Order: sequence, then structure tokens, then C-alpha cells
Amino acid sequence: MSATPPSLRAADADARLLAPFTAWPDGPAGAALSQFQVAGMHCAACSGIIEAALLKLPGVEAASVNAASARLALRWQPSRVALADLLAALQAVGYRATPDVAAPAREMRRLESRQALWRLFVAGFLMMQVMMLATPAYVAAPGELSPDLDQLLRLGSWVMTLPVMAFSAGPFFSGAWRQLRARRLGMDVPVAIGIAVTFVASTGALFDPAGPLGHEVYFDSLTMFIALLLLARWFELGARHRAAEALEAVAGALPAAAERLHDDGSSERVPPEALRPGERIRVAAGEAFAADGRIVEGQGWVNEALLTGESAPVAKAAGDEVVAGSLNLDGVLVVTVQRVGADTTAQGIVRLMQQAQSQRPLAGGMLDRVAAGFTASVLLLALAAGLAWWWMEPSRAVAVAVAVLIVTCPCALTLAAPAAWLTASGALARRGLLLADLSALERLCTVDTVVFDKTGTLSEDRLRLRRHWVQGAEGADADGLLAAARSLAGLSRHPHAQALADGSGAGAWTAVREVAGRGVEARDADGRLWRLGAPAWVGERPDVQARLAFGSGDCVLWLDLAEAPRADAAEAVAALYGQGRRVRLLSGDQPAAVARMAAQLGIDDWRGGATPESKLAALRDWQSRGERVLMVGDGINDAPVLAAADVRVAMGQGAMLARSAADALLVSNRLMALPQALALAQKTRRVLRQNLAWAALYNLACVPLALAGWLPPLAAGLGMASSSLFVVLNAQRLNR
Amino acid sequence: MDILYLLIPFSVVLVLLIVAVFGWAVNSGQLEDLAREGERILLDEDQGT
Repeated sequence: MSATPPSLRAADADARLLAPFTAWPDGPAGAALSQFQVAGMHCAACSGIIEAALLKLPGVEAASVNAASARLALRWQPSRVALADLLAALQAVGYRATPDVAAPAREMRRLESRQALWRLFVAGFLMMQVMMLATPAYVAAPGELSPDLDQLLRLGSWVMTLPVMAFSAGPFFSGAWRQLRARRLGMDVPVAIGIAVTFVASTGALFDPAGPLGHEVYFDSLTMFIALLLLARWFELGARHRAAEALEAVAGALPAAAERLHDDGSSERVPPEALRPGERIRVAAGEAFAADGRIVEGQGWVNEALLTGESAPVAKAAGDEVVAGSLNLDGVLVVTVQRVGADTTAQGIVRLMQQAQSQRPLAGGMLDRVAAGFTASVLLLALAAGLAWWWMEPSRAVAVAVAVLIVTCPCALTLAAPAAWLTASGALARRGLLLADLSALERLCTVDTVVFDKTGTLSEDRLRLRRHWVQGAEGADADGLLAAARSLAGLSRHPHAQALADGSGAGAWTAVREVAGRGVEARDADGRLWRLGAPAWVGERPDVQARLAFGSGDCVLWLDLAEAPRADAAEAVAALYGQGRRVRLLSGDQPAAVARMAAQLGIDDWRGGATPESKLAALRDWQSRGERVLMVGDGINDAPVLAAADVRVAMGQGAMLARSAADALLVSNRLMALPQALALAQKTRRVLRQNLAWAALYNLACVPLALAGWLPPLAAGLGMASSSLFVVLNAQRLNR
Repeated sequence: MDILYLLIPFSVVLVLLIVAVFGWAVNSGQLEDLAREGERILLDEDQGT
């Protein structure tokens, strides 16, 4: 160890440090894709500042910050810039970032919410007290309130406004300063200017009533404005933290240790990272699986709510696959490890969700630009209004300028899209459809054709026994033979045998021998030789309809296996038709099998025997006729066709999903999630439009009022805070 | 009404005191997990902390 050059050791340690929150899409030598959680963000403009600061560093290729979830996705070269320098650069512009692995991020969230609550309380509580002291001035009849007492009440309000200005409003000022320094106008700038102008004007009026700032004080509206803004941010913070927690629930489901079995029967407890594919682990009841694998021993119930959102436990027996992070409810299972660490299904999902969350929606960027232009024009407008009123009626100039600044705060505008999209993707995730790309929600709205692949998509991966019969029928017991066939099938690894065995235990067979390409043969308790396998191998005159046969000499049981459609496939197809969409079935399987499946599910437009090229051609043909196609496939053999579709949905199981180019993953394998997702996408678009319309309408109505001097700062503060609240709460409707 | 000249400053001081007390409560983590505080009575002495 001592011979290792220090630089190499540092790089090695760095790589291990990066591992929990970093992916290397182009191999270990290429760029790293790291995920961070950012603290100190409170508006859409912050993301631009962070991105600009990071892109200035050497070795940083791309940085993208999602304002709504406060996540940063960074594409960079660890060999050219150190992690510490990245964090220092962020610190310099006023944000803190921690690698997005659960614990430090959770601690940061805790501090953030503690700080936010504290600020909100100071502002809210003092707002009430200030209002109490302001009431006499509103309700007293002229002459009832002595000037001395009035001045004392104002002084009291001023004292209580100080902590609100100095502490609660701190984030607005620091945010505005940061935005100004980065030459980017966000919502903090007009808010901070509005607050500062109001406070200075009121303070001047308090201590020098005859001065140029007039004699009106606005401490009550000022504190109320700050309190309402902080309340809106508190809700936003809560929504963001809930999204982050949902992610961590997936990431945190892995157990801290696993019991590894050795060939000599001994076992040891090791951390999950130490497991390698091919090793066997024993999972006790109540324990979570540390890796993806296949059960080799034991049977029991497993809770896969992590993947499917379905809380009903699933029965698992030898031969079934289990995924890391799901919970073994009863029975002791021995599992052969197939995938570990970052390759596991759970980690693939986490990575996808993180990527989706840190990706800034396209229209979000557009909205940012709109908001910046909007802010600039508002500042000019307020200045012009102040000057105009100064000339006409100097005593009201400040009040009008303040009202314009406060009323036009663009936060409703910038919150509108991210709030809706984030809520919708959370609602879809709970139904088992994970969006890897938030912009897919927009494309989902326009879909009018849904194309299904057959095998693995509409049908289950495994075959089911469709029919069994005995030839010659000389009193042979077909069901008895079937039970024997199932018990022999349990000994074979062949998919057909596995489908036949269907979890039933293996029987008492001796001299079991697998014959490659043919089947399996074994002797029963009486020493009689039985064969299970290809019909031509088992019987002398094979039945043309049989796929499998089981028999000994003349006594032969013929078996036909067929794909079973998924339980909710017919329901989902009917629901899609009900939404007025075209449904097509496009399969590479035999036309007869495709026709049978289509008839069973009620799909009238089907095409069988298609090659990947002809599938692609068919898809392009439909698209050229103006159809917007949503393609659902298993993501493995139809990848090129999927890639050409407008919206790509992959059935999600196994390691492939981490690499697939799908927009969304149907991890629950419940097809009903598709019509639900399409409906939700429409609803999201509706909510988004409502939000934007509200923000626009509100500004159209209020700005002229404020310019005309008919809107006191108190009403302006109320209006703008409630418009932010409206936007966030309206988006929450998507959660139902 | 002269008493108001005493009561108003007094109430302002009181309000600031209350804010300070709440700040201490928030910053010492007492409001972090409200559900747990309610369940504490169901736990054994040594688990409750």
C-alpha cells in the first residue's frame, strides 16, 4: 500500500467516494454524472446562477438544476476538477450542495425546514402583534387617539417589524443580491426592493412625519406580506421534501447486511456491497433482499410495494426472481444473487427518478426567461409610476411604486409549470409508472395511438398451460398424469418446464437426466422411465397441436402451452378505446398467435410476423399519417422501434430498464396505469394552463389598479401571496 | 388611559420574549417530529428519548 503514489490513492479514494451518487455512462474513463441536493434555493432563477457558476469550472461539461426539487445533475470529469472545488464554487455563490445519498441530504432537509419554520413563525407571530397595534389607528374616530399614543403604537410596530425585516426577510435580500450579482432577474429582486422601499418609507414617516416620505406607515402590510410569502414557500418546501423522501424510501430499502452462504454450509454477515453475482444469500423472514436474484430454496410471501406500488404480498417459490429492496414477509429463502449494487432494479429506478427530477423542464426554462423579462419591465413600470405620481401627488408616489412592485411579483408564473409537473410525476409513480423524462407528460397529451408489443407486454413473460389431453384414452387419468408431469417439470430449468411446474414442488424422481434440446427424463418410485419434453421425443405419433408431452411408452399426456394475457390487459385496452384512442398490436410472433391474443383482448388492428425493420416501417407509416404514437414494449428486443415512437414506455423489470431509452417505465406491469397516465397528462396540461391563465389574469387586473393608485400595499401583498398559493394548491389536485 | 403608555411597551417586550422562547424550542429540535412526541407516552422510559 505504501508503494502507491499519493495521487493514485487520492483518485482511488475519490472514485469510491463518488460511487454512491455518481454514474459513469461512458465507462470509467469518461465523464461522470453526479447527483447533488442543493440547499439555499428558493426560486427558479437560482438554478441559472448555480449552472453558470459550475460551468465556469474546468472539467464541468453540463450542469442542470431542477428548481422545484432542488437537485443538481452534473456531468463532469473527475480527473480534471476535484469534488471539493465544485462544492467550494457553489459555496461562493451562496448555495450548499451535498452528494445526493440519503443521510446528509436528510440532515440538510431537516435544517432547512427548521430554519423555514422559524422564519415563518417570527414573521407570522409578529405580523399578528403589529396588526393589533395598528388596529387603533384604523378604528379610532378622529381626535380619539392622542398623537402621543399614536406615535407610541407606531413605534411599537416598528420595533416588532425589525426582527421580521432583519431575520425573516433575510432570504429575499440574499436571493436578490445573488440574482443581481449574477445579472439575472428573478422574483426575489422585486420582492426585496418592494420590502426595502416600504420599510424605509414607513421608517422615514415614523421619525419625520413632515418629511418627504409622507406620514403613512405600512408596518402591518409589510409584515403580512412577508409572512404570506414565507407561508407559500413553506408549502413549496414541504412538497419538495416529500418528493425527496419518496425517492429515499426506494434508495433506503436496502438492508445494511446480508447473510452470505458458503458451500460448506457456514454463513457470514457481509455488507451488500461485498456480494457478487452467483453467490447465495439467506434471507430471514422480515428481512429485505440485498440484491436482485432468483430463489433456489424455500417459498414465502414477498412484498414488492417498492416496485409496483401494490401492497398485497406476492407468493414466491424456488425459481422466481426477487428484487433488491423488496421485503421477505415469511419463511426463510435462499437466493442466488444475480445483480448487485448499481445494476439492481431498485437502483436503476432511483437513478432514473433522480435524472427525471434534476432535469429542468423545457418549458420551465422558457418560463424563466419570460419571468426575467417580466421582472425587468415591472421595475421600469414601478419607477415610471413613482415618478409620475411624484409629479402629480408626491405623498402617494412611494405607496404606488411599492404597490406595483409587490403586486406583480412573478412567482406564480415561475411556480406554475414545475409545481404541476412534479406533482403529476409523483402521482404517476404511485400508480407504478415512473417518468424518466418530465417532458414526456407534455407529449403524452397529444398521443392518439397506442401500439403494444405482444410478448412480455400484453402477455406475461411466461407461458401457461392451456390444455392437456391423453391420446387413445384407454382409461388413463389425464389429471393424475398432469400432476406427475408438473412434479417432474419442477426439476428442469427449461422455461417450458418452469411454466408447467408453476411453482409446484418437485416429486420423488430418481436418475433425473436433462437431454439438451429434447427434455428431461427420470425414473419414478417403481423404476419406470418417464420423459417430459418435445412431443416427438416422448411419443411415437406426436400430436400436432401439442407443444410438450409427458409419458412412458404408450401412456402419453399431451400438453399445449400458450401465453396468458396480463390480468388487466383487456380492461386497459377497453379503457384506451373508451378514451377515443387507436390501439394497435404489433408483434413479431406467429400471426395465428397474435390474432388469438388480439381477439381475446378486443383489439381489431393487429399485425403479426413483423420483423424489427417492418415494425419500424409500420410505425413510421402511422406517424407520416399524423398519428402520435405511444409505444409500449419490453424495452429489450424492440428497442429501435421504441426509440422511433413519440412516447416510449418500457415494461420495467430487470437490469435493462436502467439503460433503456424509455421515457417512462411501467414497473408495476399493470397496463391500467397507461390509460390513467394519459388521463392524468391531460389533467396536468389543464392545471398548467389554469395556473398560467391565473397568473396572467391576476397581473392584468392588478397592475392597472396599482398604477392608478387604487391598490394599497396591503391588498397587493395579499393578492400576490394568494396567487402563489393558488398555483401550488391547484397543482396538488393532481395528487388525488 | 395613561396605563397604556406602560402596557404597550410592556406587550412589545413580552412578544419579543415569546418569539425568543419559540426560537429556542424550534432550534433545539422540539418541533421536528411531532408524531413521536405524542407516542412517547406509549414507549418505555429508555426508548422515549
